[in-house]
Amino acid sequence: MITVEKLNEFGADTKDGISRCMGMESLYLKLVGMAPDEKNFDLLKESIEENDLDRAFEAAHALKGVMANLSLTPVSEKVSEITELLRGRTETDYGPLLNEILDLREKLKELCAD
Amino acid sequence: MEEFRKKNELKRRVLVVDDEIINREILRNIISQDYEVYTAEDGEQALAMLSNSHMNFSLCLLDLLMPKMDGFELLERLKENEKLRRIPVIVLTSEKDAEVKAIRMGAADFITKPYIPEVVIARVERIIELSEGQRIISSTERDHLTNLYTKDFFFTYIRQIEEYQSETAIDAVVLNVDHFNLINECYGRKTGEEVLRNTARLIPEVFNDAIEIVCRAEDSVFYIYCKHHDNYEELSAKLQDLLSKQENSPKVRVSLGVYQNVETSVDVETRYDRARTASKQVEGDYTNQIYYYNDELHKKSIYEERLIGDFDESIANKYFKVFYQPKYDISGNEPRLCSAEALIRWNHPELGMISPGEFVPLFERNGLIQKLDRFVWEEAAAQIKTWKETYGKSIPVSVNVSRIDIYDLKLEERLQSLLGNNGLTANELLLEITESAYADDAKRLVEMVNNLRERGFRIEMDDFGSGYSSLNMLASIPVDILKLDMKFVQNMLKDEKSLKLVKLIMDIAGFLNIPVVAEGVEEENQIKLLKEMGCRIIQGYYFSKPVPPEEFVKFIERETERGN
Repeated sequence: MITVEKLNEFGADTKDGISRCMGMESLYLKLVGMAPDEKNFDLLKESIEENDLDRAFEAAHALKGVMANLSLTPVSEKVSEITELLRGRTETDYGPLLNEILDLREKLKELCAD
Repeated sequence: MEEFRKKNELKRRVLVVDDEIINREILRNIISQDYEVYTAEDGEQALAMLSNSHMNFSLCLLDLLMPKMDGFELLERLKENEKLRRIPVIVLTSEKDAEVKAIRMGAADFITKPYIPEVVIARVERIIELSEGQRIISSTERDHLTNLYTKDFFFTYIRQIEEYQSETAIDAVVLNVDHFNLINECYGRKTGEEVLRNTARLIPEVFNDAIEIVCRAEDSVFYIYCKHHDNYEELSAKLQDLLSKQENSPKVRVSLGVYQNVETSVDVETRYDRARTASKQVEGDYTNQIYYYNDELHKKSIYEERLIGDFDESIANKYFKVFYQPKYDISGNEPRLCSAEALIRWNHPELGMISPGEFVPLFERNGLIQKLDRFVWEEAAAQIKTWKETYGKSIPVSVNVSRIDIYDLKLEERLQSLLGNNGLTANELLLEITESAYADDAKRLVEMVNNLRERGFRIEMDDFGSGYSSLNMLASIPVDILKLDMKFVQNMLKDEKSLKLVKLIMDIAGFLNIPVVAEGVEEENQIKLLKEMGCRIIQGYYFSKPVPPEEFVKFIERETERGN
């Protein structure tokens, strides 16, 4: 079960997230629980692997919005970083940054599964 | 409206369009307190929901990046559709460039991610309020039939224009489609509406000025604000020609009232009042179509305005006076006073005696005649009562019932209580109606006459033969007395035709067994002739002009002496 404490430990700004849910903690936790299943994590991974930067940008961009709305700060910081790189279609090795993001997703998934 | 909504807990509907369920749910949760929230996952779904006219969405919150149909495409599709265009869209985005693009494409506002609930709520509220206000404005700004401005907006726009352009010479033009009610009657309402739409469309074509604005002010009356023209003959001829050439159009005639080179110090409404006054001079006149507002008309309308302005005070202070003209029965050897007619006089404290010819038609036009009639009824009823008390004799008095009184559904009651208040019987107050009332609303007139007669009132048909007298009218309205129009009497000794007509009317009246009153009798010869033809009651200068009540008593006194 995901809890506010666990999320705080993870680095999420739960206070901000809960206030975005109009103070409804349960709704916030429910939505956070859906975050690891976000299809855009997979889309981002696939399109970077295929070097389709346009698609990768769209996925990152969409992901950035969701993560920011949930105030999952560690994830949204990294996603923002990759979004900015992709916006300029920067030719670089996205692998390490992508892995960091995917690791955070896994960590979040574990927190939810515990 | 707002109160009504709150009271009835009617929530406006908002559609949230985003492919991300987490975003959708956060947004739904933020605004669901105040709105009924629906969601869509992509543009296609959103378009289908927005197109459902039963849903009547007040707002759409739209994410831009979505599968199937993205936000930009949806905006495009909404813009193309007349009905959907009115639904305001707030774009959800975190891209600066996209914001500008979306607003250029018609989005009303944007909200950035991550959402801040207070901001979301405030923007949603504001955009709905703005768009509803705008819709109210656009629904009152245009006339639905012609899509021209409505009068209020027309005036507002003129004031706006003149803040920047006060140097140009301007005319105020009122254009009237003549006999519009006849077009409706003869060709049907649809044709009538088509004529108005064509007029609305063709006026700008014909006038073709850089600064012309047009509105439909009344049914078939258009106001035009345009650059000064020296004359309007050509313009109106061209317009009339084009109008009559329209497919399936009847022949259309327009008349114009023009107030040229308006003084910009004169407020906009007054300018068009003046042009309207001018247009009324030629409305329905087949010999002249255009009337230019001039000094004479200006003076006349100022004078009329003054009379209207002084009306109430004159009623209150009794500057209006009721005069009485005696009517004599000539059937015996000696004429005997049998009744009187009440006639209104206006002794204006500053303007002196004003002829009824000046104010009666004016008050008939604007409806004040109704008040004046009631004043006369009350005065006359009180007078009958006074004479009765003083001389023990009842002198019935005829009072005028104007065309407009016919529409007063309480008329019968009103007259009845007047009798009650003065202790009179119904045959002491004679009611004069004119035949023109029959042309207005025959059904109501017949109903009213029947009701009044049932209550015992006697009805006199005034000015018979002066207007559109019809035998049909005589057959359908059970009048008690006919009053022969005074022109017949005045001409019957000079003119064979008038004499024959008088004979004819006397015959008809005799046949219907209705007594006739001859008005305007001035000479002995006339009396002799009328008596021969069977006329029993005479009114006119031969006996007396209309006189104030204090002078009228001499007729009663004389009559009382004779009776003795």
